Amino acid sequence: MNPFILSILLLSLGLGTTLTFASSHWLLAWMGLEISTLAIIPLMSQHHHPRAVEATTKYFITQAAAAALILFASTTNAWITGQWDINFDLHFFPASMLTMALALKMGLAPVHFWLPEVLQGLDLTTGLILSTWQKLAPFILMCQIMPVNSSLITFLGVTSTLVGGWGGLNQTQLRKILAYSSIAHLGWMILVMQFNQQLALLALIIYIPMTFSTFMIFKTNSSTTVNTLAASWAKTPALTAITPMILLSLGGLPPLSGFMPKWMILQELTKQDIPLTASIAALSALLSLYFYLRVSYAMTLTISPNNLNATTPWRLQTTASTLPLAISATISAMLLPLAPATLALLSL
Amino acid sequence: MTPTHFTISSAFLLGMMGLAFHRTHLLSALLCLEAMMLALFIALSLWSLQLDATGCSTAPMLMLAFSACEASAGLALLVATARTHGTGHMQALNLLQC
Repeated sequence: MNPFILSILLLSLGLGTTLTFASSHWLLAWMGLEISTLAIIPLMSQHHHPRAVEATTKYFITQAAAAALILFASTTNAWITGQWDINFDLHFFPASMLTMALALKMGLAPVHFWLPEVLQGLDLTTGLILSTWQKLAPFILMCQIMPVNSSLITFLGVTSTLVGGWGGLNQTQLRKILAYSSIAHLGWMILVMQFNQQLALLALIIYIPMTFSTFMIFKTNSSTTVNTLAASWAKTPALTAITPMILLSLGGLPPLSGFMPKWMILQELTKQDIPLTASIAALSALLSLYFYLRVSYAMTLTISPNNLNATTPWRLQTTASTLPLAISATISAMLLPLAPATLALLSL
Repeated sequence: MTPTHFTISSAFLLGMMGLAFHRTHLLSALLCLEAMMLALFIALSLWSLQLDATGCSTAPMLMLAFSACEASAGLALLVATARTHGTGHMQALNLLQC
């Protein structure tokens, strides 16, 4: 893509999210969401491949509908309470509508159906932007409207973790696996958001490097299915050895960083006296762990049959920068000992 | 709920039902999206009458500007879909199931 257009689009993407972060009026928050949607549309369809165009169309329709619903809910709230300020508590009915609209924006179950297909149609870089950056603005709005309609939020959270676990079980396409992983992680964040927004923020902050690492690993291997990952042991053996750490961190296993948000969330849910919800969430994490383990099994734990020429390729120095992946892989695997400091930084 | 509020809410919700349950054409989905935006525009326009204040008269204009941009993006995507998929029918958008 023309570098000027690319920079305009990326800066607009940043502008949209920043606008939503900085706003205290619902109209401005809506405008920020619209700007980020409009900015990512050309990025998604830049390859003009039928699958990319289809993914862009589906993304556009869902995000436009969700944004319109957000504006409608805030207008209804203004008509009922007279307040446009985000910091003021919402009336019950617009609050529920707003929660469902933000859930549609983020891709929470039961309105998650667009996410696997849209992510499947994109190339890995745009998919990365969609999974990480585009989740920030609706997440922040969701944090600011809490506490609202506890049963709805718990329902969204538990359904998302279960759907994220079960939906990913039958997938061989890596982008769909990451889509269901995103649904499950957002479910965990929503569960704790009604009690402690800082913990939800912690979960998001840990989730972003993990997802970034997985997308970068798949990009380095240029692979979009589990089967093509099987040849990576010959191409990049170091990366093949690190990938299970990242995937198991996504699954939430100690002693990796991914355990930190899950541990803190389970602790908070137990303190709030809903151990049943905590148990269901913990058991659904088992489902997600299964397909992360399947990916690492195919990639690292087994060596796939290969002809002799492919097992010893020339390992030339790559021109692509490996520093971002190095940093994010370290963060997503080794941050657990820093848990007390991280929690202190988030003023818990 | 005042009659005005009811009218605007029902207009929006009818548009949303049309968007959710459209069956054949992508264009009808875009039209329902525009209907939702129109209902919101009227709601915001009547808001300044509701408050007897002129300070919030810019809100519908801003909203209209964004909704126009969104509509044009939607139409561009309709054209792109027609180019890659051959039709504007929703059932053609089935490539991403596997």
